[in-house]
Parts: sequence; C-alpha cells; structure tokens
Amino acid sequence: MSRGAIIFGLWCLLVTGSYSYAAVTGYSPFADGRRAEGARGPGGVFIGRGGPRHK
Amino acid sequence: MAEPPEEDPPRPWGEGNTPAPAAPPAGSSGRTVVVPPDSSMAAAAEQFNCPNCGGSIEVKAAGYTVSIACQYCGSVLDVTNPDVQIIQRYEEEVRKLELPLGSRGVLRGTEWEVIGYLRRSELGAYPFDEYLLFNPYEGYRWLDTDGRGWSLGNQLVASPQQNGLVGFQVDGEFYEPFYAQTPTQVDYVLGEFYWRVAVGEEVVAADFVRPGKMLSWERNDRESVWTLSELLEPHEITDAFGIDPPSGGGLPMPHQPSPYRKKAGLFLKIALAAGFALLVVTSLFGGTSDPQTATINLATNGVEQSAKIGPITLERARQAVTVSVRAPGIENSWVDLGYSLTNTETGEVYEADNVVEAYSGRDSEGSWSEGSRSSSSKFSMVPAGTYQLDIYAAGTQWRESGYSSSSGAQVEVTIQRGATFYSNLFLALLVIFAPALWQWWKHLSFESRRKSDSDFSGGDDDDD
Repeated sequence: MSRGAIIFGLWCLLVTGSYSYAAVTGYSPFADGRRAEGARGPGGVFIGRGGPRHK
Repeated sequence: MAEPPEEDPPRPWGEGNTPAPAAPPAGSSGRTVVVPPDSSMAAAAEQFNCPNCGGSIEVKAAGYTVSIACQYCGSVLDVTNPDVQIIQRYEEEVRKLELPLGSRGVLRGTEWEVIGYLRRSELGAYPFDEYLLFNPYEGYRWLDTDGRGWSLGNQLVASPQQNGLVGFQVDGEFYEPFYAQTPTQVDYVLGEFYWRVAVGEEVVAADFVRPGKMLSWERNDRESVWTLSELLEPHEITDAFGIDPPSGGGLPMPHQPSPYRKKAGLFLKIALAAGFALLVVTSLFGGTSDPQTATINLATNGVEQSAKIGPITLERARQAVTVSVRAPGIENSWVDLGYSLTNTETGEVYEADNVVEAYSGRDSEGSWSEGSRSSSSKFSMVPAGTYQLDIYAAGTQWRESGYSSSSGAQVEVTIQRGATFYSNLFLALLVIFAPALWQWWKHLSFESRRKSDSDFSGGDDDDD
C-alpha cells in the first residue's frame, strides 16, 4: 500500500473518530443553543424577527 | 508457429478506402514471417563482407535472415543471394542508434540481441523507432519507442477475434480502437531482418489498445500481420540495455496505464468504508428520544407568553438536546420563540431562539407563499443533569396593508434528548470524499489526455 493511501486512511480514521466523539457528546459547531451568562428572567423574546421576505 | 492469415478483417475501424500500399521494391519477396518454428532450433551466425564498403558483417540469425543493412555504410543487402547483392545503397552517415546493433540484454527473463533497426513514420509524420530483437530459441521480438516509452512486441500467429463493431479480443482481453488505418512507411533501416526491407516500404497500420498493451495491425497488398506489444516499465529497458529511461513528457502513450487508477480506486474504497462507518455512528448515536410537549395558545398581538416543560433528565456526560416547534394554524403570521434550558441543580442556563412563520399573497406574478410552520433548535454538549425548559413566545400577524396583531396561533413545543447534526455528517463526508474525488479527477484527466490523441476520441483533430 502506498504512503499516500496510508496517510489518507489515517486521515479517514481521524475524521471518523472525531465525528464519533461529536455524535456521542452531541457536539456541533452549527448548533443553535449556547450557554448563557446567567439565568434568563421572564421575557426577552426578540419581537419583530419575522415578516415576509417576498417582494 | 503459423503464418498470420493472408486476408484479415475488413476495416471497421478506420478509413475503409485506404488502399493497400504497393509491394516492396523490386527484388524483394515481400514480408515473410520466418519465426523459428521450434525452440530447439538455434540459428548459426555467418560472416561476409559488405560489397559496398567491404565492412565485415555478421548475420546473427543465419538461415532466417533475408536482408541485412550494413552497419558501416547503411546499404541494404540481400543475403539469400550467394553473391550478397545490394538492395539499396545509402550515402548518409550511419545513424548512431540508441541501442547499437549487437547489444544484448535480458528482458522479462530472456536474453535478446539487437539485430535490426527501423525508423518508421506516418509518411514522414510521427516518427518512431523499432528494434528487431533475436534469440535463437525464442525467435524475434520488436522493441518499439517513440521517445515516451518502450514496448516489447510479439507477432501473433493467429488473427485476433473481432469483438463488437471495432474492437478485438486476444486471450480474453478486449482492445479498443485507438489509431485508425494510416499509411506507414520505412524511413531508415539498419541491421538484419526476416524480410527484404527497404526505405519507402509502406503498409497500412491501425492500433488497438488496453492499459499496458497495444495490438497493432499492418497490411500490404499481400498479407496482414498482427503484433501484440506490452509496455515496459522504464527501469526494464535500463536494466536490460543500460540506457537512460525515457524522459516522458507530452501526451501519455496510447497504451499507457493511468498512474492514478489504482490509487483512485484505493482511495475510493477507503472513503466508502469511512463513509459507511459515519452512517453507522449516526444511526447509533444520532436521533432523539423521550419527547415532552407543551402547547401554548397565543394571542398574536405581540404580547409575550411563556410555558414550561420538564423536568427532563440527561444521563450522558454530554448530550445534545432538540427543541422543536410547530404552529400548524398560523397564516400571515410569525411566532418568535425564546428557550431557556436551565439545570435545576446548578442553575446553568442554555439559550436559543427560533421563529415559525407562514405568509402568502398574490401579486402581478400570481400567488406566492413562504415561511415554515415548523422548526427546531439544537443545544450542543449539554452536561448531564435535570433540566427545565422555559419557553417565551410572542405572535405577530402580518397583513399586506401593514403589521397588525390578532389572536389564533396555537404553538406546540417539544423537547427531546439527543439530536442528529446533519451538518456534522455532511462536513465529515466532504473531508473524507474530497481527496478520493481529487484522485479520481486526476485519473480521469489523465485518461482524457491519453484518449485525446486517438482517432476515435470524438474530438476534431483533423488539423493535427
């Protein structure tokens, strides 16, 4: 097996391992939720986000 | 060995009206296959003096050789005549060959001696060199090169089987057409041969290829000859005759195997295996479970309302949480939502926002609609513990004449343990398959360049 194939195999192993870790721990850089600085009080919804984009 | 058939297949692979070239020059008996019929037969060497320059000439394959070119003056001599007559005289200086006549080398387990040299071309264009090799027990072989690589050719004793409209088959291997019928002539000759070769001798030739091999067909007005050539590795010619390997460059040879094919196939197999592993991991650890739902009846007047869901217990050290929302009844309205996922033991809070919306109307282009009545938010790496979800929602109605509020939005919010991050899966598949696809691109690019030289590539290369 060529050196390139071995390196690519290791790369796939790294990606698969990282993906497995992310799947088990529920990690995603694209997740919506994030940790807040403190407890949220009542209210705080941003009003006015909606509305049609249709022209 | 038997002689190749006199009349071979017609010409499905090229210009059907290409006339067979004229017979060799006067005094010639045409190309006759004189391959030693029995491996136990060993030819003896003979010596005589060139009638033109007096140089001492040794016939390596005495008894089989019909003509020989003097290595000193280049005159072509008929050695079947007891007086050794001159067939053709050359005034030009004897060419210095890359493989000098008399050179010996071991190719693929057999020792060969270079006894003849031909320079041929397509009527002056695309010249290539052919060296005739001889071994008293194995017979003759051809060593061909056009500067890009070397091929070892063996004349076939039977015509290949035609396969399909234009291809041929030899030993179960298919050869696709590459060069159509083209007149080919001898431009230069030196050494000894098994037929009366002379400068200007013409045949019509066509070539068929598969990776690593070329099947060549030649025909004059008397016979057809098939030759099967195998591409040699660069080190083979160096090991055999001690000459430098071909420098390469330019287009790939017609029968040159793609150097990327094997690697591309291996990369694809590795990528497919890794991709399958990713799907297995996704099925094992993706998905959601234990849904809990709350329903909020909103007055879509912009006033915020709230609800709670929980408790929900997360058992893994870190885990994703999915909060999905549906508002099936909204029309020309949107609902803004805020989520607070609070650990009831530590007070740690995770936040997210979302919106569901649906609009429709009519304009000069007709009816239109946009928005989605359902959506979801995903929390990443939430620590183990017991959580409560606080939901804050505010509905607003949109009208063509402006924004206004009204009642009537019912919102269902569901929290579940776990999540499937398809963005993660897409990203992982991308970085795994990109190198494999890159290798395939290089392979296909090589094949495209190789086939671009073919008369059957479909491209317009008439101007070449």
